[in-house]
Amino acid sequence: MQLKPKLGANSVGVRGALAAAAAGLLAGGHARAQETTAGAPTTTIDSALLTYHEVNRVQAIEPVVNVSQKIDEDGTLYFGVAADSLTGATPLGAVPSTLAQTYVRPYKIVPVGTSTTTVTSASGGSTVVTEPAATGAKTETLAATTVVPPNTYPLDHGFTDMRGAGHLGWEQALTQNLKLDGGMAYSKEHDYRSESAHLGLSQDFNGHNTTLSAALNYESDLSFPIGGTPTPLTEMNGNWKGPDASLHEIDALIGVTQVMSRRWLSTLSYSFSSAHGYQTDPYKIISVVDPVTGQPDEQLYESRPDQRRKQSVFFDNKIHLARDVVSASLRVYKDDWGIKSLTADLRYRWQMGRDYYLEPHLRYYTQGAAYFFHYYLVSDQAIPEYASADTRLAKFNAQTYGAKFGFALNAASEINLRVESYDQQGNGSPAGAIGQLKQQNLFPELKAYTLLLGYTVAF
Amino acid sequence: MVAAHHDQSTQFTAMASPCVVLVDTQDSQLGTEVGEIVKAEALRIEAKFSRYRPSVITHINETAGQAVEVDQETADLIDYATTCYELSDGRFDITSGALRRVWKFDGSRNVPTERQVREALQYVGWHHVLWKRPVLRLRASMEIDFGGIGKEYAVDRALSLAESHTDAPILVNLGGDLRVSGARHDGAPWYVAIENVDQAGTAAGLLELLSGALATSGDAHRFVRGSGARYGHVLNPKTGWPISHAPRSVTVHASTCTEAGLLAKLALLSGAGAEEFLELEEVRAWCIR
Repeated sequence: MQLKPKLGANSVGVRGALAAAAAGLLAGGHARAQETTAGAPTTTIDSALLTYHEVNRVQAIEPVVNVSQKIDEDGTLYFGVAADSLTGATPLGAVPSTLAQTYVRPYKIVPVGTSTTTVTSASGGSTVVTEPAATGAKTETLAATTVVPPNTYPLDHGFTDMRGAGHLGWEQALTQNLKLDGGMAYSKEHDYRSESAHLGLSQDFNGHNTTLSAALNYESDLSFPIGGTPTPLTEMNGNWKGPDASLHEIDALIGVTQVMSRRWLSTLSYSFSSAHGYQTDPYKIISVVDPVTGQPDEQLYESRPDQRRKQSVFFDNKIHLARDVVSASLRVYKDDWGIKSLTADLRYRWQMGRDYYLEPHLRYYTQGAAYFFHYYLVSDQAIPEYASADTRLAKFNAQTYGAKFGFALNAASEINLRVESYDQQGNGSPAGAIGQLKQQNLFPELKAYTLLLGYTVAF
Repeated sequence: MVAAHHDQSTQFTAMASPCVVLVDTQDSQLGTEVGEIVKAEALRIEAKFSRYRPSVITHINETAGQAVEVDQETADLIDYATTCYELSDGRFDITSGALRRVWKFDGSRNVPTERQVREALQYVGWHHVLWKRPVLRLRASMEIDFGGIGKEYAVDRALSLAESHTDAPILVNLGGDLRVSGARHDGAPWYVAIENVDQAGTAAGLLELLSGALATSGDAHRFVRGSGARYGHVLNPKTGWPISHAPRSVTVHASTCTEAGLLAKLALLSGAGAEEFLELEEVRAWCIR
């Protein structure tokens, strides 16, 4: 802003400037507005570095940058990129045993003969072996074997993954109260690719106090697992498996946001999603155990239905106290795999001073099991059409405790640090466990920590 | 208000104040139409910028800490408020409402402590706000209101709408801030009484108005009593304390009500220097001490 006469002891008079400003205000000033925005586009940059650590399991590090750029009075372009790198071990799905167990999975296809000298030892005791090639074949498969010691929960070690993701979108105000939002997203890792597009509309009513919104998202994914796509419920082995598998999903959301009072903002939304295609985890297996001893006889690739329909209702409230803000939300979810879940989330933003705040965060999550979840299958019983021992499909409870500390560097930028711990508990000793399984923990507790350092700036 | 002629008059309540629209015509139908136009506009602006009921303002305040995009009209008002902030060297500040959390002007002995004022003052100051039209970002727990400009703006807007409906002379008075479209039919002035600050309903003076607007700013009916002192309701957003030696009431004449309102407020914020300020600005004004 250029220097203007100021009111004060040496004031020369502000009346002229004030009259001009008042005239500008009363003229409505479309032209002036355009001039201002053209000269001063608004950019917001959100960046963060996230590290995630599961005790004895996966570690991840993920940098994220999101940019929102105002193009004109009514249009905003936004885009973002993220990358993550994941290393560590994930549960195989197999039950532990009092005996050592060896698991084998395909690893790489090489020309015949190359493998003979290749024997590597990956972290966690994986060893690369060669599967005998068919006579006359030009290639052969390298397989990795993992030996799991007695009474140890079987994990797939030497697991590393890199993922890159990006999204691009445009938000356009069609009228004062109607907004259209459209965009697309892409993400790729070494064995998975996802592409999606979304379109949303939101309409404000009664002086921006009520907002109705509706959105549609379509996603198309391709899975190309290391070692190929296994045939569900066949025995795990080191042979190369089937071709890539695809998944298509459509999501719809409708919601209403209502200003309930000057200090209370409420959002209620319903979402429905329908997925069709490959939803089995190609790396997960399920043990078939002896009906008497409980020792694993076979390890089968797991099998999940091709269809999944999910529904959820989300209710969120933000209440402004004199200085602090309370956010409380509840999500109720169910799907046709038989999973029902409830998430309760509570945050309290404690404005400790003008420039900094502390926000404790509590979350409770509980879910019921999918109808095809089994800790294991029993060899004298018929094999069901769908079966998975993935504990993410089991009945469990989880708690998140965390806190975020934010510090405003100035009006336009903030730096923040978030620390969270996550605890998951399920039933490790299911009723009716057979033989040696009675002494094993079939649902090892999962404990994870998240650390996030964020920086936001607008200019 | 004294109307010597037989005007068509419409009365209603808006912004918690009595409002009057006078149309100098024999046509009662026209009087009603103009009255409705003014009333609708006053109520629209009140609803849109209310500090108490869910509005654009409460939405902005509820989302303090995040960037919010505001509509054209709101942006125009914020631009205007920004200019006023700069012209007044920070003494006119639409974020000063946070001080109301500690200053309760109810005639009681509720004077806040130094510490309470200092704490509240952390959430006051337009320079803490990011304003890149049309995006506004308050710091968390800050709040804005158009208390110092909204009513005057409504007078100007409503009169302008009414003028596009008829050529008949009109006076729009929203809670004491008023503007006329011009002289009466016969060239006579409108008469406006300045309310006596000590005795509501009685006049401290009578003004003749041929054109333009009048706005009054003051502490009538609103104050707190401290130890021996009486603190008026005009707070200095830079110190968090009431302006000392401010006139009880200042009435300013200007071509628009928006401008008159700001000049009256700035005079009040000049405290003991109110008269000097008004003289320097060469405005027609009346101070009551």
